[in-house]
Amino acid sequence: MLHKIDRFTRQVVRWARRKSPWVLHFNSGGCNGCDIEIVDLLTPRYDVERLGILKEASPRHADILLCTGPVTRQSRDRLRRIYEQMPAPRWVVAVGSCSCSGGVFRGGYNVLGGIDQVLPVDMYVPGCPCRPEAIIEGLVQLLETIK
Amino acid sequence: MNVDAVLEALRETLPSVALEPRTFPMDETLITLPPDCVHPAVGLLVERFDLRHLSTITGEDTGDEIALLYHFWDGRGLTLRTSLPREDARIATVTDLIPGATFYEREVSEMLGVVFDGHPNLHALLLPDDWEGEPPLRRQEERQ
Amino acid sequence: MNRMTIPIGPQHPALKEPLSFLLTVEGERIVESALRIGYVHRGLERIFQDRSYVQNVHVVERVCGICSHIHTTTYCQGVEALLGLEVPPRALYLRTLLCELERIHSHMLWLGVLAEHIGFTTIFMYAWRDREIVLDIMEELSGGRVAHAVNVLGGVRIDVNQEQAHSILGRLDELERQIETFLGVIQHERTFQARTRDVGHLSVEQVRRYCVVGPVARASGVDVDLRRDAPYAAYDRLDFRVITTQAGDVWARTVVRALESIESLRMCRQLLKGLPEGPLAARASRRVPPGEVVSRCEAPRGELVYYIRSDGSDRPARVKVRTPTLTTLITLPDQLRGINTADVPTVLSGVDLCIACADR
Repeated sequence: MLHKIDRFTRQVVRWARRKSPWVLHFNSGGCNGCDIEIVDLLTPRYDVERLGILKEASPRHADILLCTGPVTRQSRDRLRRIYEQMPAPRWVVAVGSCSCSGGVFRGGYNVLGGIDQVLPVDMYVPGCPCRPEAIIEGLVQLLETIK
Repeated sequence: MNVDAVLEALRETLPSVALEPRTFPMDETLITLPPDCVHPAVGLLVERFDLRHLSTITGEDTGDEIALLYHFWDGRGLTLRTSLPREDARIATVTDLIPGATFYEREVSEMLGVVFDGHPNLHALLLPDDWEGEPPLRRQEERQ
Repeated sequence: MNRMTIPIGPQHPALKEPLSFLLTVEGERIVESALRIGYVHRGLERIFQDRSYVQNVHVVERVCGICSHIHTTTYCQGVEALLGLEVPPRALYLRTLLCELERIHSHMLWLGVLAEHIGFTTIFMYAWRDREIVLDIMEELSGGRVAHAVNVLGGVRIDVNQEQAHSILGRLDELERQIETFLGVIQHERTFQARTRDVGHLSVEQVRRYCVVGPVARASGVDVDLRRDAPYAAYDRLDFRVITTQAGDVWARTVVRALESIESLRMCRQLLKGLPEGPLAARASRRVPPGEVVSRCEAPRGELVYYIRSDGSDRPARVKVRTPTLTTLITLPDQLRGINTADVPTVLSGVDLCIACADR
């Protein structure tokens, strides 16, 4: 009996997580182009809240980390700490060419490369900068895999 | 800015210095000074001409020297250029005359290893806390 | 009363970009603050030396995403001066058109961010919704909403035909009506004024002491604008006002930016209606003769300076960038001293920080 209740509860939680993923946005060294496109998602034209996506203030409330920019030396430890503060299960989306690979800044003396140099990335959304439609597509595809 | 009046005043105050003025785009006049004349020259610009807008301080490692360029602007551009030896790059700070120079001197200091005597806080501005190594804009030998 | 230290950032809902503050507070009042930047330092000045002049046009565009076009304008202008190139008038007009459209988009972005931080979410949503008009125009002209790649060494790579110009003019009229509405809110809405008046005050003396530039300086009464005082691109052919106020607080900065957006709209109309015929770019050689140049432009946040030195090869010997945000960052400890912790987001938003520009 307990086993059935447990399984049911897990299904509800999984459904809620997929229907209302809360995202945290962090810029680990980018030019801000992708960041303003991410903030654009909240505004009337793109309105991701209709998909259940809310932008959260604290890593402890977030399911998905939307990361922009290449990882700079100064950002590396903070990025890791933010990821560690997110409760499991958590996912990381690398938004923009810089977070995928370092972009035009690859090879700079203070640039470590893309986000995957520091964190495990679940979805790469390329673009320089990334269009809001592409970010939404990336998030929707990620949510499909959460089933 | 009346560039001629400024040059004349500088010649009066620093008679032993050959300023060698030259112009380049975009409407910029450049004069060359020895390092110990930079502070008095900036003092003159601030006190006599109220020329207080320092756009920035550029530092460059040309291979033979560390060049510092102080870019002023007041309708037209005036750059003061000085040259520091690579092994011992020190110069007096101008933050007592122009507090806005604080960040510019800090950046030149961390990028090129220049010491600004009298600067209130020469900690790293842009480089990370755990930066180890040469100041990044010092010339590396492999540049073709 | 005991003092407490509150760390803010690098990840914080009030900050769009990473920077960190250590605020020392006594009760609700800020006593002292320390600032740490460098999280977005990509070492661009070193990267510029390893790329050719042509490649650098694309790297320079990505110093900052919000003011990308003015960076390429300042850079291209400097290199064109070193090459002794005469940029065709049609290209100068189109370059200026993108500069002013970018100024409008930047100011509206800023207005939305300020409104969000003081709790006025409606203005945030409206400002960003209307900003889409400008982004659509820029996308039609260049193919990109945020990174436009309009400038090339010698001119521009885009063009406008009569039909497009007519359509853009219509949408600019619509946008002007919206900005007038925001101006009405800024000037008359009491809750907005209660949050922004007398907060973050900077005197003329402080502005001059710290060499502050841009709308922050103009809001304190310092009448400086490079578009009028040292005209570049097509600005010598345009008729526009430079907006200054005397109040010097966050509210004054909001008024200055809103009025500047309307002036920019008027400039865009003049540019589209007076577009001269002619080629779009002069031919630029790959190698640049030895020389140096100081190129200055009025970015949305103020004076943007590029010092470029060439040594005769196809790569610059030195590119030094000084962005306007550095001049306003330095005033933050002064602005934060003595205010309530609740006013911290207002002050931070009021100076329109662009940390990507500051860190490079």
